[in-house]
Amino acid sequence: MFWFCRTAVKGPYRVQKGNDMSETVAAGPAVSIRSMSKWYGDFQVLKNINLTVKFGERVVICGPSGSGKSTLIRCLNRLEVHQDGDIVVNGVELTMDMKKVEAVRREVGMVFQSFNLFPHLTVLQNCVLAQRRALKRSKQEATEVAMRFLTQVRIPEQRDKFPGQLSGGQQQRVAIARALCLEPKIMLFDEPTSALDPEMVNEVLDTMVGMAKTGMTMLCVTHEMGFARQVADRVIFMDAGQIVEQNDPESFFTNPQHERTKAFLGQIL
Amino acid sequence: MFDFRFYEIWREPEYIDRLLHGCLVSIELSTAGGILGMILGLVLVSAQGKSSPKLLSGFAQGYIETVRNTPFIVQLFFVAFGLPQLLHYRWSFEASALLAMTLNFSAYFAEVVRAGISSIPTGQIEAAGSLCLTKRQIFLDIVLPQALCNVYPSLTSQFVFLFLTTGLISEIGVEDLTWAGRFVADRNFRDFEVFIVLTVLYVAIVFGYKAIFNALNRYAFPWRSIR
Amino acid sequence: MSALLEPVFGPFYSNVIGTLVNATQWTIYLSLTAFIGGGLIGLLFTILKISPIGWLRKVATGYIWLFQAIPLLMLLFLIGLGIPSFFHISVAPWVAASVSLTLFTSAYMSEVWRGALESVAKGQWEGGRALGLTFGEILWFIVSPQALRIATPPTVGFMVQVIKGTSMAYIIDYNDLMRWGKKIANSQLDGAEPYIIYPMVALIYFCLCFPLSKWSKSLEKKMATRSR
Repeated sequence: MFWFCRTAVKGPYRVQKGNDMSETVAAGPAVSIRSMSKWYGDFQVLKNINLTVKFGERVVICGPSGSGKSTLIRCLNRLEVHQDGDIVVNGVELTMDMKKVEAVRREVGMVFQSFNLFPHLTVLQNCVLAQRRALKRSKQEATEVAMRFLTQVRIPEQRDKFPGQLSGGQQQRVAIARALCLEPKIMLFDEPTSALDPEMVNEVLDTMVGMAKTGMTMLCVTHEMGFARQVADRVIFMDAGQIVEQNDPESFFTNPQHERTKAFLGQIL
Repeated sequence: MFDFRFYEIWREPEYIDRLLHGCLVSIELSTAGGILGMILGLVLVSAQGKSSPKLLSGFAQGYIETVRNTPFIVQLFFVAFGLPQLLHYRWSFEASALLAMTLNFSAYFAEVVRAGISSIPTGQIEAAGSLCLTKRQIFLDIVLPQALCNVYPSLTSQFVFLFLTTGLISEIGVEDLTWAGRFVADRNFRDFEVFIVLTVLYVAIVFGYKAIFNALNRYAFPWRSIR
Repeated sequence: MSALLEPVFGPFYSNVIGTLVNATQWTIYLSLTAFIGGGLIGLLFTILKISPIGWLRKVATGYIWLFQAIPLLMLLFLIGLGIPSFFHISVAPWVAASVSLTLFTSAYMSEVWRGALESVAKGQWEGGRALGLTFGEILWFIVSPQALRIATPPTVGFMVQVIKGTSMAYIIDYNDLMRWGKKIANSQLDGAEPYIIYPMVALIYFCLCFPLSKWSKSLEKKMATRSR
């Protein structure tokens, strides 16, 4: 318990709300990637990616494993560093400048394949921590916000349990609530249902569908094609580090243009 | 043939007093050394962080390797007899013993904790980063508590191992349990019985420590038991 | 040796260094004795500890527990001072030191090795039994080679503990590096102050221990990358 009771550590970086460009640039795209490339050593994982996502848009990214789709969305909050081209998220260009990275991360929530909940904190503490540290909210306010989102993902009664006591589906819903607590403008999902037992996939997808209805900007790496049909505005197919094809779900599934897309869809549908 | 005469120890109230007092001194000094060593160890751990200057982390590493690869008794004698001469300042034997134990334990503590830190999955750090926590916050709020939880068993056994060598502080005149034992044995000439009693006392103290560590474990890491 | 050192360190220090280095051999002998003797006895108790016979396992458990619980210092006192005075016999310091360190080493070694044997998956034992192999055959041909790989780094690492442990033997008058260092430091000679002599002693111990520590660490790393 006492890890959490320690008074807030003042972080060295604190982006002032006054400098926050989000309000003024809100009319621009949520994400804009221009001729971006990334290498792991000699191996090029992403090749000349160009992508624009508008606010409120819901994009599903699919493709075979190793196609660079996870790397792509991990570049959007700089968990991975791109080497060439530029990425502008919410009007802020991602560079070495940690302040800009923090400004982006404040507005971008992320959900991971392996949940990555903090095992030493309770469900509620998982949701409260970042609010207290990054947004400097009071304990009471943070708790209220956390409970609001835990209710939204329908597990408020688990607030005092540790992640280890929850099922995979419950953990992933907590992870979604945790990301929402910072009230991000953009949500990134990195294969959120791949690590789940089949019977738990739907509870997580339902949560995501619910989120889509609120108008959240979503970029989602997933193989759940039912989910893509239901909520996506656009489906992107990636292969070998490139965006091969993108289209609205209806055309994408019924009339794929590219051979590789057809082959891929043939395998998973 | 086996002519045990343990009563030669309890016969004199003074002997019992000395032994009990020795127990207290041993426990006090090791506990204090353990706590101070833990604090210094945390400093050493953070000095080795990725963002700390090369010189500082190199110094911390050198210190840890030096302490871990030399015997405690040499460190103790250097602190007790060398340092005061070097600094032209004398302090009590107890202070020397405490200093030597602190320096010694800090290095082991730092080494164990560093290994624990490197075993934390990167997903934890990425998740914390994506939640906009700063490096410092990630270390203090996410990495360190989990690392301490993971290495807690090896930390406590390391402490017990060091406690079992603290009898050496009697060599510089600290009136600890071993010193009391030798005091008694020098007078009643029942060395064998005295050292058996001493061994039992040391083992009993270790049991006490282990009970406390178990209780602390449950208090400090409530998430562990249910995983 | 002193003659070689003299031009660099002067007559006094080359004498001191010569004495210390000369005393180091006794530290090495004691370490090797403890390590080999302790290794053999440790091996015996490791096998007893995992043997199919119940009471043998209990004996081994008791032995390992006992000699891990008794502080090394107390072992030295019990064997070096206690036994001679109790049985009215004389025990040479080197005998007492060797026996104590051997017992100490054996208990810790069998603990390490038992852990390694147990970390080899249970399926390996079952697989061996399914093939109709005996306890000894499974242990020798299937489990030991796998356990050896796991046990090597901590075994090498424990050698450092043994070498450091030998420094306590001076307490029962074993003439090793520590004892000579102490003698020189107490000699009141100019230039033989404790703050000069003890760092020299520490340096010699460091030279013995550090390569072993490094070796153990690199073995550990190699194993971690191989098992990935």
